[in-house]
Amino acid sequence: MVSLASGRRQVKTLLMRAGAQLLPIDWGAISPLKLRAQLVAEGVYAGMHRSRRRGPGVEFGGQRPYVPGDDLRFLDRRSLLRHDRLMVRQFETDTDRALWLCLDASASMAFRSPDAPGAKLAYAALLGAAMTRIAVSGQDPVGLLWIGGDEAQQGIRAGFGHAAFERIVSRLETTVAGGDLSDDIDAVDRCVRLMARRAGRGSIIVVLSDLIDLHDEALSNLVTLGSGPRLVVLVQVLDPCERDLSYRGKVRLRAIEGDREVVTDADAVRGLYRERLAAHTDACRQMVERQGGRLVQACTTDDPVAVVRRVLHAIAEARR
Amino acid sequence: MSFVAWAALAVGVLAVAPFIAHLLRRRPPDEERFAATKWVPANPAVAQRRTALEDRALLAIRVAAVVALAVLGATPFISCSRLSLSRDAGASVALAIVLDDSMSMQVTLEPDSGSALTRFARAKSAAVELVAGLKPGDAVAIVLVGEPVRVALAASTNLDAARVTLDRVSQTDRGSDLDGAVSIAGELLSGLEHVDKRVVVLSDLARSGGSENALKVRSGVELWVPLQQLQGARRNCGVVQADRSDRQIVARVACGAVEPGEGDEQPRKLAVKAGAEVLVEAPLRLQQGAADVVLKLPEQGADDAEARLYVELIGAADAIRVDDAAPVVAVGGQLRVGVVTDPASSDLATGGPPAVEQAFKALSLGVQVRPLSAVPDRAEELDVFELLIVDDMPGFTPAQRRELARWVDDGGVLLITLGPGAAAAPLGSSFAPMLKAIVRWTKDTSAGVDPASDNLFGQASSGLDILAAKGRAALDLERDTAPQIISRWSDGAPFALETRMGRGRAYVLTLPFDTEISDLALRPGFLHLLQRLTVAARTLGGVARTTVGHPWTVEGFEQVEVSRVDRRDQATPLAVKAMPGSQTRHAVADRLGLYELKLDGHQSTRVAAMSEAEVDMVPRALPAGYDGESFGGETASVDVSAYVAVFLIGLMLVELLLRVLSPRVRPRDGDAPPSSGAAPSSGSSAALSSTPS
Repeated sequence: MVSLASGRRQVKTLLMRAGAQLLPIDWGAISPLKLRAQLVAEGVYAGMHRSRRRGPGVEFGGQRPYVPGDDLRFLDRRSLLRHDRLMVRQFETDTDRALWLCLDASASMAFRSPDAPGAKLAYAALLGAAMTRIAVSGQDPVGLLWIGGDEAQQGIRAGFGHAAFERIVSRLETTVAGGDLSDDIDAVDRCVRLMARRAGRGSIIVVLSDLIDLHDEALSNLVTLGSGPRLVVLVQVLDPCERDLSYRGKVRLRAIEGDREVVTDADAVRGLYRERLAAHTDACRQMVERQGGRLVQACTTDDPVAVVRRVLHAIAEARR
Repeated sequence: MSFVAWAALAVGVLAVAPFIAHLLRRRPPDEERFAATKWVPANPAVAQRRTALEDRALLAIRVAAVVALAVLGATPFISCSRLSLSRDAGASVALAIVLDDSMSMQVTLEPDSGSALTRFARAKSAAVELVAGLKPGDAVAIVLVGEPVRVALAASTNLDAARVTLDRVSQTDRGSDLDGAVSIAGELLSGLEHVDKRVVVLSDLARSGGSENALKVRSGVELWVPLQQLQGARRNCGVVQADRSDRQIVARVACGAVEPGEGDEQPRKLAVKAGAEVLVEAPLRLQQGAADVVLKLPEQGADDAEARLYVELIGAADAIRVDDAAPVVAVGGQLRVGVVTDPASSDLATGGPPAVEQAFKALSLGVQVRPLSAVPDRAEELDVFELLIVDDMPGFTPAQRRELARWVDDGGVLLITLGPGAAAAPLGSSFAPMLKAIVRWTKDTSAGVDPASDNLFGQASSGLDILAAKGRAALDLERDTAPQIISRWSDGAPFALETRMGRGRAYVLTLPFDTEISDLALRPGFLHLLQRLTVAARTLGGVARTTVGHPWTVEGFEQVEVSRVDRRDQATPLAVKAMPGSQTRHAVADRLGLYELKLDGHQSTRVAAMSEAEVDMVPRALPAGYDGESFGGETASVDVSAYVAVFLIGLMLVELLLRVLSPRVRPRDGDAPPSSGAAPSSGSSAALSSTPS
């Protein structure tokens, strides 16, 4: 006999496989997001000095003689008139310090175990909002893009100030999860293409994801964003149940994304599961570090202040 | 069915509940949504094995607990068939257990149900239960009913000895002597100081053709017959004996009486079989009583058969199977008695055969009497007899003396009565070496036999004190002879003498059987004399057939081996016991059938035959006013609640132990303990949020 709950669950599974299912986020103890993000940011401030930067990143770096092929836009007219010499103006840098958040909103990110304070997506949103708060406080622009989720929800272009923070938080609070990344490489590629267009040189791209159902090729494309003057930091957000496989005895597990199903004895295979998870995480770390990026692990039961600090340290470390 | 029965069934059904719960628990586990499923290795075998192991122990414990609870609830209704003894004010009891081990106790109690429990098995278990219920200070004696009656254990307070004795008692094919057993049991209790003395009769009370009077027990002793289910006449026929003479077989068949309602007699046949081959058969029309059936063997086949011949009842089975067949022996299987007498002097005034022949017929000793006109003087004529009675003959010729001496040496029993004829022996005739004396007939009219000096007639000697003898034989014994005088006249003269010669005996009476001379042949002592001679002849001469239970006694042999031979010629050795201080040995055949004796290498065949009266299983009446209920009974309730309660507590401890031990084996080394023990929620449902599974 099939129980009512089991039947309901099966129906929802079918709907989700059809791509028609969008899942609200279980915020749990993480709400309200705005307030929680401000508290996290304050906690981060209390532990480190603020890095105040002045002005945008285009600074004059001197002149040099013109050589054929140089862009005539940078020809110094004043020097030609004064010294009758063709000189070209040079700039110290043209990078910006924008922070781009790339939030994984696939179906697996809606998972929450009873021991977790909230869903993984909620926790990732909290981390993203807190970093947004920190960035706008430093006069850095902040943008937001999604992987998966509601296709109707658009990304947010990089913006400055409190308005940008309000806009991003507002969008995060209304986000929903959905989509299956295991067989939808385009979902990541769409994000990568947008990010490549919008994130300029010097941008910091923080990807908040569980990295579970990301296809290897999609993950490779994602970290390749950091091959240029951009920096990619992967923040792997896991539920404590996913970290420890805290089921007991005989269980039948069905993947949230994809249709894989396993019957096993959780107590017997827990060690092997941890080894496989660690191997995957190490592979992701090596992949991103080859591009100069960093990977930070987080669990939804971890203190978000400490996680944000680890992210900031990872950014600082990568910039050195 | 009563309400209690329905309630018991309902509780019994609860024993299935843990099993059903187990099956429900063994169903496939609920599906859990888990993102990282691709890294979880499948391991269903381990999961199922562990579940099965855990569940099996718990299932067994819980089923046992439910059953124990049901038993605990049913304790007030539990009663068992254990035979228990009631006591007056807790006083010690002297108990004489009369245990019937006769053949009639082989009847199964419930033949319709297919149960193999026999009357004897139930009686023995009841005896064990009685002994188990005795307390220190109680005395117990055990008497076995199988004929002849035996005292298995004299009255003793050693209860362990009683248990060992009962353990050794086994079923026999003997006849029964219930009166004798009850009488002896009463005697055993008579000398005890106990006030409460009881004779417990564990028997079917079969009258066995004997007295139909009620059982009697001596005064001061109570009679208790507790097992009523042992009683009841059942249809049974048996082949008592089968004698062959040339091609004719005379089979004696006995059928017991049945109670009304036992059912009609099924048609049966009497067949002569050699192994499995039926040589000849004849219908058996006997309903009750005993009869001789004559069967004629075919001209060919009977002598060629290698297997022994048996006469067997075939057709519908009856209550006892062991008595349905008897081995065929040549005529002479009975004790053969030769009587040498002068017809002129031994005839009775009332007519009929001589007194000796009439006495043997009246005694029904199973002997074959053959009158002889003279003492045989050839070995082949003499060897057919085991007992020879020579009544007042005028001595023996030298040839007769020589053969008689050899015959007695080989185990024959000879009785010589001396009268006027013996005293008138012609020259050259004498009774030596059986009696080395000069015989004279005197007109001395002594009163009779002195009972005090008598060792021959037993209790019957009291009737020989006045024999009205008109004379007697006087003996002038030779000096070098010393026959044993076993009975004397009242004036001290020898009346009876016994001479042992080799393995045989020679008896001499100084009075003939002639009723014109004395009343000896009319006295009960005369019958006792013949009975004693018969027993002596059976034991010494090795008669081919004896009644089962009676011992075979041999004397003067170095090596004695006895074995029972079944119908497949398989021999089973029989214990041979030696009498202390003598060369006499005896073996007792408890079972019907064929036996082989090896006496110093010489082999002979003997048959243990059933007692004809044993087929009569009609129970005897109990004494008037018998009240057995006051002595105890079979339906005492048993309070086992304490044991069941302890058992339940033990089950609880075992379950707790299992539950304490089982978590220790679950986590693997290095594994962190599961968080809060609850399974995580699936992330795929709308309740992704907080619904624990």
